[in-house]
Amino acid sequence: MTTPDTDLLAGLSAQDATDLLARGRRQRLEAGASLFQLGTVAAAIYLVERGRIRLTLPIHLGGRSEEVAVEERLPGQLVGWSGLVPPHRFTLSASAPLETDVLELARVDLEQFFGARPGAGYRVCRNLATIVGQRLQVVQAMWLREMQRGLQRQNG
Amino acid sequence: MELLLMGLCISLLGLAVSAAAFGAATRSAGPAAVDAPASAVSAAPSKFFLDAEARRPAPAQTPAEVLLIQLEQHIRLEQAAAEGFLERPTAESLHGATSSRWAN
Repeated sequence: MTTPDTDLLAGLSAQDATDLLARGRRQRLEAGASLFQLGTVAAAIYLVERGRIRLTLPIHLGGRSEEVAVEERLPGQLVGWSGLVPPHRFTLSASAPLETDVLELARVDLEQFFGARPGAGYRVCRNLATIVGQRLQVVQAMWLREMQRGLQRQNG
Repeated sequence: MELLLMGLCISLLGLAVSAAAFGAATRSAGPAAVDAPASAVSAAPSKFFLDAEARRPAPAQTPAEVLLIQLEQHIRLEQAAAEGFLERPTAESLHGATSSRWAN
């Protein structure tokens, strides 16, 4: 895929997008490989270029801890925005269910780039806010649905 | 001697009748008697455990893999419902039903 199609880079000029992506480091993940673990330091964000990333959370089941998939990320989508948002700790675990390519963008490199090109930095941060805001709204709606069901159960 | 034999015959007859009656009683009350308390319990309304049971997709002996698959399917359906609400936010679309067995 052409990585400028990513949701994070919407609105950037072709030159800014190219220069930003040039700071990335490509990683190939074999099927089943871990990208990052819940609770670890998030020093980078990732753009999915090929394949799929599975985001999971631990759940206790039958006395064991199992990973349950809560989201999946496809080519063009951002993974690991904790890399840009304090306290810079991953709040999910990420792995590749099939062979997957990601572009790793280190926070330190991004901050340098944003400092040099504040217009591009503004657009990236606006895109990031859109991504995070959409996820928040989805989770909020899911939480309200669960609350409604809880009320219905309580009232018989 | 005749009295003794007569008493013995009557005793044997009584024993046979008792055994037959006991056999008939235990046959008729076999599985049904065992099931009866369970169905009575499950029919009884509960404010606590029935809801928990209803939300659980299967009893404890269900393999963990099956539970995980059902849970992930539930999450996908709930996310789809939530995203549908965001596309067209109304009270109805917020609380619309899904086919998830965990949501019903």
